[in-house]
Amino acid sequence: MRNAQAIVDLRLEKPSFRVVEVVRDGEVRYEVRGKLDAPVPPIRESKYLSKQQCVEIYRWMLLNRRMEQALENLYKQGQVVGGVYFGLGQEACSCASAYALRKEDWLAPMIRNQGSLLVKGFPARDIMMQYMARAGSPTKGRDASSHFGDIKERNVCAPISMLGDLIPVLAGVALGARMQGRNIAVMTYIGDGGQSTGVFHEGLNFAAVQKLGLVLIVENNLWAYSTPTEMQFAVEDLATRAPGYGVPGVIVDGTDACQVYDAAHEACERARRGEGPTLIEAKMMRMKGHAIHDAAGYVPRELFEFWRKRDPIARFEKYLLEKKWLTPAENKKLIDDVEKELEADREAAVASPMPKPETAATGVYCEEGCHEIKLKYGPVKVAQRKDEGKPKESEAAVHLR
Amino acid sequence: MPTVTYLEAIRQGLWEEMERDPAVFCIGEDIGIYGGAFKVTDGFIHHFGAERVIDTPIAESAIVGAAFGAALTGMRPVVEFQFIDFIVCAFNQITNMLAKSHYRWGAPAPVVLRGPCGGNVHGGPFHSQNPEMYFVHTPGLKVVAPGTAYDAKGLIKSAVRDNNPVIFLEHKYLYRRIKEELPEEEYTVPLGKARVARGGGDLSIITYAAMLHVALEAAEILAKEGIDVEVLDLRTLAPLDREAIAATVRKTSRAIILHEDTKTGGIAGEVTAVIHEECFDDLDGPVVRIAALDTPVPFSPPLEEVFLPKVADVVREARRLKTY
Ligand SMILES: Cc1ncc(C[n+]2csc(CCOP(=O)(O)OP(=O)(O)O)c2C)c(N)n1
Repeated sequence: MRNAQAIVDLRLEKPSFRVVEVVRDGEVRYEVRGKLDAPVPPIRESKYLSKQQCVEIYRWMLLNRRMEQALENLYKQGQVVGGVYFGLGQEACSCASAYALRKEDWLAPMIRNQGSLLVKGFPARDIMMQYMARAGSPTKGRDASSHFGDIKERNVCAPISMLGDLIPVLAGVALGARMQGRNIAVMTYIGDGGQSTGVFHEGLNFAAVQKLGLVLIVENNLWAYSTPTEMQFAVEDLATRAPGYGVPGVIVDGTDACQVYDAAHEACERARRGEGPTLIEAKMMRMKGHAIHDAAGYVPRELFEFWRKRDPIARFEKYLLEKKWLTPAENKKLIDDVEKELEADREAAVASPMPKPETAATGVYCEEGCHEIKLKYGPVKVAQRKDEGKPKESEAAVHLR
Repeated sequence: MPTVTYLEAIRQGLWEEMERDPAVFCIGEDIGIYGGAFKVTDGFIHHFGAERVIDTPIAESAIVGAAFGAALTGMRPVVEFQFIDFIVCAFNQITNMLAKSHYRWGAPAPVVLRGPCGGNVHGGPFHSQNPEMYFVHTPGLKVVAPGTAYDAKGLIKSAVRDNNPVIFLEHKYLYRRIKEELPEEEYTVPLGKARVARGGGDLSIITYAAMLHVALEAAEILAKEGIDVEVLDLRTLAPLDREAIAATVRKTSRAIILHEDTKTGGIAGEVTAVIHEECFDDLDGPVVRIAALDTPVPFSPPLEEVFLPKVADVVREARRLKTY
């Protein structure tokens, strides 16, 4: 069916405000218009998550946040090469979405999805070593931040900086798997800024036409570097783009792990049934600057206040405690364990040496004996006809002889 | 031995690779039932099925991106650009995603990116270009440009088997103009190896693709004047066969580099540098570059005629260089 579907909105509150550019005292700046004193909504009960799964997601979110705090400290100690990117306020989106993936499914993170990488099985020290450009990092010091992957075990595709390009790549991963007889889910993210690129359209349209199991999470965190969404697109909800591609669109509160998980889980199930892509718009706010150097002075302070009350971790913690799915003692132990794990990882990361200069020129090409290209999901399902054994020489009319 | 065109040689090479390895598949615009704008994949969809001959939306970044994604699962995609001019629409995917993936994170990108390049068919500014140098300049890519049917078949087979992204430039002027007898038995031609297309002792013409035939024609004329020309067909532009370049220049001490790509930033500059690095002392005269004008490829025949390097240009420059 080539039919557009209605947008599903899982949110329990629909914040309504706008950022406007105003001139005040001879200065151009952003101000917010709208209702900013609404009560904080509860966490939505998940249709799928068990108590244990909720606690696991909570732990990933905590690890995500504490690891970023450790990174900030490493930066202040001069250990980090380059900048640091944070997903503060977006931990529910990163962790609960990746939690919906199975081992055979693929993930491609963006810069703020360090939590997704943890969930997909990379230890925190890998991310720390990436930032410190160490020899032991997954890219051996060749690339930074979340720019790494693993084609063998974890099924993670490394991003490039150019926004949008992962979308067709992940669609292609699903295509490759389908040729090998498997429908898998392939998840990637794009920002409210990155969704403006042309390749977003190319990739989503391609996935839709081919019915590939792309789970595209549009992280609408209100800012693209310093640009507010009002200057990025003219629609109210980015999920409304989905029907234009013949794809279901879902809106979730990106600070509510249960909503994120439920939407991601349903999208993954749809992918595994071979029914094609889903676009999930997660609404939240980037709670720091673009990177560590950026104090985000352009963001109206009231917006920070509004979203700080909707902190994904504090709210989820409260939810679990109130439900008695977590006792205060268990919570304390969990937090202590996360701290211990991070401290061990931090030590290992700092101990990793810098790469040897003589490795700089190696590995540009895949040489003989360096990698064996192997089918990941089994033999290609060939529907080859046996009749025509040979290509026929073609003398048909062609473009420009 | 059967006689086949350059285009037919590429078809056969692709067909054989798809027969040999089910991981090989074709993806591009209008390549299925229609068989491609130049009919390179004519009949493929009927034999190999629509799963392995995939028609796509007009979205070059998506096509290349999806090919890379499929390669991550162990497939070996062959992307067709309807005209190679449209490859720049996927420039970012090629130069940033594919070219750097092995170096950055150890993920090989065994993807072939093929399509018709070149002028002399009055295709105008957007259907005649030679985009090789955008890609020769990018570490991680291989760039191949065959000038004969034999090489076209042998090189496309090697390109498909290579574990790196390979840009395979098919000169559309040659598609149906040149015919050769090809061996019945299977063969490949290695990437990265130039070939002496004609032996000679007085002067070397280093060239590739359609200009190979211009060089060979000029060499015949020059032979009658007693100038014994060696023609080196580069065949692969990245990696460049430095040894073969040095060997021919050491032999003849005079070098002309001839290409259909525009002059400034063309590979002639790079080959000149290689000659200086490898065998400056062997030179008896300056290295000469003959290339297309530094303009877009013009549409009208009299304009395109001026734009392209010609046999007469080569003969004139060879005579001048011989007297040096
Ligand atoms: C194609 C492209 N243009 C510009 C940039 C530089 N850049 C990096 S991040 C960024 C803002 C991205 O905003 P958004 O997509 O909303 O993601 P967020 O940072 O909010 O998570 C820009 C402009 C880029 N990486 N890619």
